[in-house]
Amino acid sequence: MRKVWAIIRRELIAYFSSPLAYIVMTAFLLMQGYIFYLIISFLNNPQTPAMTPLRLFFGGTIFFWLFLLFVVPVITMRLIAEERRSGTIEVLLTSPVTEAQVVFGKFTAAMVFYAALWLPTALYVLVLKRHSEIDIGPVLSGYLGVFLLGFFFLAVGTFCSTLTDNQLIAAIIAFAAMVILFSIGLVEQLMISSSFIKSSLSHMNLWTQMDDFAKGIVDTRHVIYQLSAGALFLFLAAKSLEVKKWR
Amino acid sequence: MIEVENLGRTYVEEPVVRDLSFFVPEGQVLGFLGPNGAGKTTVMRMLTAFLPPTTGRVVVAGVDLDQDPVGLRRHVGYLPENVPLYPEMRVDEYLRFRADVEEVQRADVHARIEDVVDRCMIGDVRRQVIGTLSKGYRQRVGLAGALIHRPPVLILDEPTVGLDPNQIIKVRELITELGRDHTVLLSTHILPEVEQVCERVFIIDRGRIVADGTPEALRTKLVGNPSLAVELKGANGAARDALEALPGVITTSDRGDGRYLLEHAAGSDPREAVFRLAVDNGWVLLALTPQQASLEDVFVRLTTREDEFVPATAEGEAEEVHDA
Repeated sequence: MRKVWAIIRRELIAYFSSPLAYIVMTAFLLMQGYIFYLIISFLNNPQTPAMTPLRLFFGGTIFFWLFLLFVVPVITMRLIAEERRSGTIEVLLTSPVTEAQVVFGKFTAAMVFYAALWLPTALYVLVLKRHSEIDIGPVLSGYLGVFLLGFFFLAVGTFCSTLTDNQLIAAIIAFAAMVILFSIGLVEQLMISSSFIKSSLSHMNLWTQMDDFAKGIVDTRHVIYQLSAGALFLFLAAKSLEVKKWR
Repeated sequence: MIEVENLGRTYVEEPVVRDLSFFVPEGQVLGFLGPNGAGKTTVMRMLTAFLPPTTGRVVVAGVDLDQDPVGLRRHVGYLPENVPLYPEMRVDEYLRFRADVEEVQRADVHARIEDVVDRCMIGDVRRQVIGTLSKGYRQRVGLAGALIHRPPVLILDEPTVGLDPNQIIKVRELITELGRDHTVLLSTHILPEVEQVCERVFIIDRGRIVADGTPEALRTKLVGNPSLAVELKGANGAARDALEALPGVITTSDRGDGRYLLEHAAGSDPREAVFRLAVDNGWVLLALTPQQASLEDVFVRLTTREDEFVPATAEGEAEEVHDA
C-alpha cells in the first residue's frame, strides 16, 4: 500500500508540475462556466419545460460529453506511455512493485486529478442555492454519476496508455475507444425492432444512465456496469503492461 | 550471488541470448563486454526480473526468478542504460520515491537518503529539479536511486556512457568503491574501463559467452606469450642471435635501428638477462619495455568473424587500436 501511495504521489507531482494540468483545469472551468450560464439563461426563458438546472448540467447537454471525451484522454495519455518512452518503467518494474500496483497507483492519481477538476463546480450548486431551493439528493447522485463515468473512462484511458510509448497516440486511441463506448448506447435509440441486441445495448447507454443519476435515480445496474467495465479495463491495463513493458 | 543456468531469450523467433550459464560469487565486480547488440542489456533485464527468460534458470541472492520475481527485485539495484529519471521531480523527492517503492523501512528512509547522497556526491544538487541536471549528476542520481535499499547485487548498464573524462573517472571510482561491499555486474563497451574496474570479464557476442576470466588471464590466454621490446645502441648483427639465446626467450624479431621484439615464455622475465647481455657486450640499453597486449586485441579477435563483412572504417579503427 505504501508503494501504491508513493506512485500516486509521484504521479500527482508530475501532473501539477506540468503546464498541462493548469491548461486543462482552466479550459474545463471556462467551458463548465459557459455551459452553466447557457443552461441558466435557457431555463430563464418561460417557454422552456420545467427542469432543474443541475439535471441539465450533469450530462444533459452534448457539451458535457464532448468535453469529457476530450479531457479524459489528456489526463490519462501520459500515465504509462511516458514511462515507457523515457525508460523509467524499467526502473519502476525492477523494484519490488507489481504491474497491478503500478496501474492502480497511476489510475488513482488520475482519479484524484479528475476529482480536482470537478471540485470547483460545487460553487455552482452554492450559487443556485442562494437564489432558489435545490434538492440536494439529485446533486449528490449527479456527482456520483460523474465519478462513476470518470472511473470507467479513466480506466479505458489508462489501458490505452499502456499500448504505446507515444502520448499523442495514446490519447487518440483513448478518444476513439471512448467515442465507441459512448455511442454504442446511442445506437440503441436508432434501432426500431425490439431485439435482444437492442435490450443489451440499452444497458450500455451512458447518456440515459447519466441522466438517471442527474434525476436522482441511483440504479445499481448502472453502477455495476460502469464499475465492472472500469475494473475490466484496469485488469487489461495491468496485463498489457506485463506483456508490453519491453519493446 | 548470481547463478545463471542455460539462460535463453528469444525475440520473435530470433534468439538474442543463447544457453548462457555462469556463476558470480559474492563481492565480485564483473564486467560484461560485448559489441552493441550482443545481448548484454537483455541479459541484465532478465537478471533484474524485468524480462522473463524464454529458457533457463536465474537465481540472485538465493531467490529463484521463476518462483518469486518480485522478491528477486528486492536484492537487486539496477541502473538501466541512459539512466531514466523523472525530469519533473527534485532529487530529494526522487530518492524519497525510490525509498518508498524499494521498501526501505520507514524509520530508515531519512538515513538511507543521506547515505546515498553522500556516497554519490550529489549533496549540492539535492533541491534541484532533475531535468536541469547535467549528465554526470543525472548518472549519479540514478546510481543513488539504485543503491537506496542496500541491494547486495548491483547491475549497471553502461554506467559511463556519455560522460566527460572527469566524470567517467569519478563514476569509476564510485563503482570500485561500491565493489567492496556489493556484487557488481556492469556492462560496457569501453575496454579500459573493464581493465580498471573489474576483477573478472565476460566477453559476450551474439548472445553467447565467448570468453570468461580476469583481464590478465584473458590477455595471456588469447594473445599468447608476453613480449618485451628492447632497444640497443651500438649493437651489431650478433645481437639478435644473442638475445634469442637468453633463457626463456622463444623468438626474437629484428625491427631495425637496434630495436628488437622478444617473445618469451609466460612466467619468465628475461629483463635482467637482457641488461647483463648488453653490459657484457658494451651495448647501450635504451629501452626495455614489457609489451602488454590490450583487451582491445582480445575483444576484436573474439568478436570479429571471418564470415562477416567488416567495413573499411571499422578495420582502420581496429588497426589504430592495435598501434596504441
